[in-house]
Amino acid sequence: METINIILSGLGGQGILFMTRVLAQAALDKGFNVMGAETHGMAQRGGSVVSHLRLGEVKNSLVRTGTAHFLLSLEENEGYRNLPFLSQGARMYVNTNSRHFPREEAKELMDKRKIIYRSIHAGTIAQESGAPRSSNLALLGYFSAFDEGPIGYKDIKTTIDTISPKKFKDINLKIFEAGYRRGKNF
Amino acid sequence: MVKQEILLGNGAIALGLLEAGCQVVTSYPGTPSSEILPEVVRLMKSANLDTYVEWSTNEKVALDNAFAASITGKRAACCMKQVGLNVAADSLMSAAYLGTVGGLVIISCDDPGPHSSQTEQDTRFMARLAKVPVLDPSDPQEAREMVGLAMDISEEFKIPVILRPAIRVSHARQNISFGPIKKNDQKASFEKNPQRWAATPRFRLVLHGELNKKLKEIGKKFEDLSKYNFHNLESGKKYLLGIIAGGIPYSVVRDFLSEEHRTDIPVLKIATPYPFPESLAAEFMSACERVLVIEETDTFIEYLLRDREKVMGRLSGHVPSEGELVPHVIHKLINHVLEELNLEPFQADDDHEVVQLVKDLQLPVRRPTLCPGCPERAAFFAIRKTRPKAIFTSDIGCYTLGLNLGAVDTVLDMGAAITMASGFYHSFAQDAVEQPIVATIGDSTFFHSGTTGLLNAVYNGARFILVILDNLTTAMTGMQPTPELGIRADGSEGKAIPLERIVAGCGVDFIEVVDPYNIKKTISLLKKAIKYVKDPNGGMAVIIARHPCVIAYPDKAIPEKKKVTITDDCTECNICLERFECPALYHDTELGRVNINREICVDCGVCIQVCPKGAIVEI
Repeated sequence: METINIILSGLGGQGILFMTRVLAQAALDKGFNVMGAETHGMAQRGGSVVSHLRLGEVKNSLVRTGTAHFLLSLEENEGYRNLPFLSQGARMYVNTNSRHFPREEAKELMDKRKIIYRSIHAGTIAQESGAPRSSNLALLGYFSAFDEGPIGYKDIKTTIDTISPKKFKDINLKIFEAGYRRGKNF
Repeated sequence: MVKQEILLGNGAIALGLLEAGCQVVTSYPGTPSSEILPEVVRLMKSANLDTYVEWSTNEKVALDNAFAASITGKRAACCMKQVGLNVAADSLMSAAYLGTVGGLVIISCDDPGPHSSQTEQDTRFMARLAKVPVLDPSDPQEAREMVGLAMDISEEFKIPVILRPAIRVSHARQNISFGPIKKNDQKASFEKNPQRWAATPRFRLVLHGELNKKLKEIGKKFEDLSKYNFHNLESGKKYLLGIIAGGIPYSVVRDFLSEEHRTDIPVLKIATPYPFPESLAAEFMSACERVLVIEETDTFIEYLLRDREKVMGRLSGHVPSEGELVPHVIHKLINHVLEELNLEPFQADDDHEVVQLVKDLQLPVRRPTLCPGCPERAAFFAIRKTRPKAIFTSDIGCYTLGLNLGAVDTVLDMGAAITMASGFYHSFAQDAVEQPIVATIGDSTFFHSGTTGLLNAVYNGARFILVILDNLTTAMTGMQPTPELGIRADGSEGKAIPLERIVAGCGVDFIEVVDPYNIKKTISLLKKAIKYVKDPNGGMAVIIARHPCVIAYPDKAIPEKKKVTITDDCTECNICLERFECPALYHDTELGRVNINREICVDCGVCIQVCPKGAIVEI
């Protein structure tokens, strides 16, 4: 089976590691071999953060440019920054409040490369749900609504339920659901 | 009962340590090694083991402790980042001569990039310098297995062994299956033998001879270590190009060749760079017309290959000499070599347009910055405001990012905030120049390497202000406890050692403690310290700026939330953005003033004290 490559991006502190953990665990529970790469240390302090996730029989944890099938970005500019990772026809899910997504300068090339892009106000959803720093879960919910990846809504929901710390479980699931509903309304 | 978990590479290493019966694990945190010890703690607790674990005060201390455990016959390990091995080098060099009894494995994690280090140094050279074997895993699963192998070699040949995982091993995640872990019941015993354990130079010569013999034997073993050192040559066949790779580059190359279904390029994997399996390498080279060496981070294997005119690598300019060898870099460099040798290239990347697009978009550069609510930001603001003309020596930790605030001028190595400050002082004092100097060091860094420098500064009459940024944790590397807290690596209670006592013990007479969230008070204390440093009867002044880290202790750090807003009094003077640089404050072009990003603001309210126009107010 062909390897599935996923890039998750954003800024340090936005919860990219947790988002990566959820997808990795959900994939493992579905029987995938999982290999991933994370950012720790200095870069986590507010800088650009990227996680790589590879599902399949691979040895190396990093996705090569031009070979990612999915990009989930918690921040619009970080989404653009990681465009070189995307393969032709890849899918991109971005948290942004901008009504002009994608930027005009980027749109043409993204269309040419047949990249399917979708955006959500994940930050607003998280804020409305009372946990403004949990846009990562809203974006996961949104991603799951389109069921385009190897792991779907039910898989991800079960994993969030299992691995969330007790204190955050209810709010995590609530925000995930809100993101999911936003995706379904399209 | 076998279970499967997605482990961090450092978790796989921790698992390997416990599976190998390691009874003592010591460490000082440093990216990318920091998670090994916490993973040992987690796994040993779930397996009901009584492994002794400690966060040592520095890497040398960690290695000395692990070495002692080893010569009682126990299996011991010591974990650190690559530059930590510099600190432990004194111990390592000598331990190689003395040898071990129980297995002793040193895990030194390399950081090609560098992502979170001051150098890109290659641990394999340190192993060569110390004359100890080094193993180079290429993924988490292999790292786990190699820990056991390293332990066995160490015990069989009575020699410390280094495991060198690169950052992409340590911080990779992989699903790993494992069963129950058995307890090792080896008891400690120490057989006195001063000629060995306290060897004088005369005996050291003998020990050096023994060490050389051990390395020869290990070298033979590595020639036949076919599980980890291997090639896929077909016998009798000749090749135009072969690739020699180790560690992470091996994994990348392996994936490329199988994706591209290339059987015309054989690969030699070297997992034991030292002692180097020379015959295996010679056999591989004799079947290939040219050989491309892809290794991280330096030219270790490349230097050891004899048939030099065949070799392509860093020395010939085919491989970049600095920076991480990420997949697209390796892909491109192999393609260049294939083209140069008129071989069929890999499928080329058509990424020029998109790379250009990203450049054209002029995306904001996201430099790392202190977190919203970070007490160190408040301390730096006060320091910079009180002493704008000072030389600001600083150190290694989150607070290195004080350079964004114009309050960090130098960062050399652990502890150098203090030692460089005294060096600056004496250089200027020699010319009768009164140069203000403010040094900043974190609590954990102070425990690691601060005291010797402070003793030295006091003893030799240096005069400067030292601010110890005490956030009650080792923040940068993931919130490990410090000796000040009295909490040990396994969560048990230890003796808490207050910074004040250590500073006083170093001979400092001016010691003040302040909460940096109170900027006004911090400034007034700094002014008092300036006077003391200048006073003929004064001396060194130490201020402990103590406030809990906002990530480690969110509730304690901000006991009373202060929701702030920005009024129309904002004149866009940008002092809050440039001198305070809280990521939650940004310039809102639509509003024509500064605004607050609620997604990341933690309601610490410190910025209220920063605005000269009083435009930041509590709601």
